[in-house]
Amino acid sequence: MANGEALHGVGGLTYDPSRRALPPELNVLIALVAITVVFELLNRYNFGWLWNDLPFQQGKSFLFNTRDNLDTLFNEQRINIILLQVAITGIIAIGVTQVIILGGIDLSSGSIVGATAMIAMSFAQTATVNGNPNPKAIFGEGFMDLWVLVPILVGLTCGLIAGCVNGRLVAYTRIPPFIATLGMMVSARGVAKWWSNGNPVSFPTESYASLSNGDMLGGMTFGLLSWSGQNPALVFFLLAILFHLIMTYTLYGKRCYAIGSNEAAARMSGINIARHKVLVYTIAGLLAGVAAILLTSKTLTAQAGMGVMLELDAIAMAVIGGVSLTGGRGSIIGTVLGALIFSVIISGFTSIQLDAYYQEMVKGAIIVGAVVMDQWRQSKRGRG
Amino acid sequence: MKKTLIATGFVALMSTTAMADGIGVSMALFDDNFLTVLRNGIQEQADAAGLSVQIEDAQNDVAKQLDQINNFIASGVDAIIVNPVDTSATQAMSDAAAAAGVPLVYVNRQPINVDTLPDNQAFVASNEVDSSSQGFIEQCNQWAAAGKSEVAVYVMQGELSNQAAVQRTQNYYDVMEAGKCAVKVTVIDQQSANWSRDQAQSLMTNWLSTGAAFDGVLANNDEMAIGALQAIKAAGIDMGSVIVSGVDATQDALASMQAGELDITVFQNAAAQGGGALDAAVKLAAGEAVEQKIFVAFELVTPANIDGYLAKN
Repeated sequence: MANGEALHGVGGLTYDPSRRALPPELNVLIALVAITVVFELLNRYNFGWLWNDLPFQQGKSFLFNTRDNLDTLFNEQRINIILLQVAITGIIAIGVTQVIILGGIDLSSGSIVGATAMIAMSFAQTATVNGNPNPKAIFGEGFMDLWVLVPILVGLTCGLIAGCVNGRLVAYTRIPPFIATLGMMVSARGVAKWWSNGNPVSFPTESYASLSNGDMLGGMTFGLLSWSGQNPALVFFLLAILFHLIMTYTLYGKRCYAIGSNEAAARMSGINIARHKVLVYTIAGLLAGVAAILLTSKTLTAQAGMGVMLELDAIAMAVIGGVSLTGGRGSIIGTVLGALIFSVIISGFTSIQLDAYYQEMVKGAIIVGAVVMDQWRQSKRGRG
Repeated sequence: MKKTLIATGFVALMSTTAMADGIGVSMALFDDNFLTVLRNGIQEQADAAGLSVQIEDAQNDVAKQLDQINNFIASGVDAIIVNPVDTSATQAMSDAAAAAGVPLVYVNRQPINVDTLPDNQAFVASNEVDSSSQGFIEQCNQWAAAGKSEVAVYVMQGELSNQAAVQRTQNYYDVMEAGKCAVKVTVIDQQSANWSRDQAQSLMTNWLSTGAAFDGVLANNDEMAIGALQAIKAAGIDMGSVIVSGVDATQDALASMQAGELDITVFQNAAAQGGGALDAAVKLAAGEAVEQKIFVAFELVTPANIDGYLAKN
């Protein structure tokens, strides 16, 4: 042990800290920083004339405050919207990440959001709007102005049931998760449309509206801190931290990785695979329920078309964040970073006034690029 | 009532012996607020006239819609009403109906072959050219009344693949070029929020974070106008200093207007379009002649005349 290396195990394998691979999340973080810097530069040195003929705005900044009327270093509005606009999809992505690590896939989360939004919102309606009776009332007087916990519980239950059905289908009928959740995707969307015959459900109570639009951080810290209107972002980060800890430090998380890496080996080692799968899909459904509640509270309306394509955005966030679609690899932190990349791109394109047509093209390219990088990283690791 | 209708529709789909007569309706999409009002307009008119209608959902699928029309023809309906999924795919529908001699009425969305429709086919809608321009001209007048001569605005477009989004945006520029706007308008930025309130909220906040001064927002529909207003309100900007306009006069928009937020919207009479389509279909089925283009007028809604519209959508 000339240079202080420790000997590990019976085979005399040495542990060499310098050979330890850097966490894959680091790549994602670097990508996030790089994309942010690119947008900062594009804002500073206006290249807008290259792609459109809109008026010129000089001396702009992406992240920093260049306005006279505020005295903060960063442009707080920008940072807030970057966190807020991705929070709800991000909450779904936390559940989807666990399902993908488990070796499955969940295509139903967007539709579960739609169905849950409609049902939960029906229990959150207020009886009078500007002095008139609620024009979008679903139920009669008795179901108006209910205690805010009622729609929350209804929403969580809907998500829970949908997720549990997904899990049971996958675990006990042994059909591929792609098919099981595809079925749920179509059926749940049907429920969303059937619930009120396609009519939107609007005008929630004040307390329900404040779930997303209030100041939860202020309430939690007794007014010491304040982050008004950013509740979805706050919930997203709290859930991300919670599930990061769960995935890293608990048996639940270790089982997810074990089943995703090698299901047969996990079964041999005595893990009740079916039960664990039901649990993971149920949690994913529950998180979709949380997303639906926050989304309806934020927009003050529920519509049958809500959440369309959200499942694919959530999967894309996970994939960009380094979660492998073959299962067994990835992390919640990676997904959070992937979500932030998504959001920085959306805000960035708007800030440089690039048309929506190009935004979608670039978004698609980034998703494919992320998977290509992931494959490349994997094959390199396989050889090494 | 509607649930039983859907149930009977479902049963009708399952059974091979379809109904012998009545009017078949193929809607582009059920889960759309506006189209739902239109659909109810058809249903109510039919109930009042004691007619049986069978309404089906094409789920935004062109192929499915054509199949539904062919199924209607095969079941021997008296007339067909179509709310086209894709306005450029209507030639095949016209051909199929014409070959079978079944009258066909397009509703709400203008078919590409509108100028070459056979005699027993018609088109009922509101003229999109009038839609956002009415609201925009009113918006210009309000700016002028507030003493402004030059204004900066944001334009929020609907889904870019959609004809209405293209037309409603084009209307703004047509109004400006024709000199119908009382003030000089500069468009700061123009982006799509896909008709969605949530996306409009995010887009508006992104715009606000640039700190550029603006005098108003032109939104292609009410949902996006409401999203923009929610973002403006959250940012603590004085609602009186900006003028926001939408299109559709949905219940949510009217409530927002009553609360002193939304300034202008334009009412497209969905129920009248649905009722008009049914009338045209009934007349064509009876062999009577109808105008081939029937336009239901757009109506301007401001806080001054809002009371007349509260119960309409």
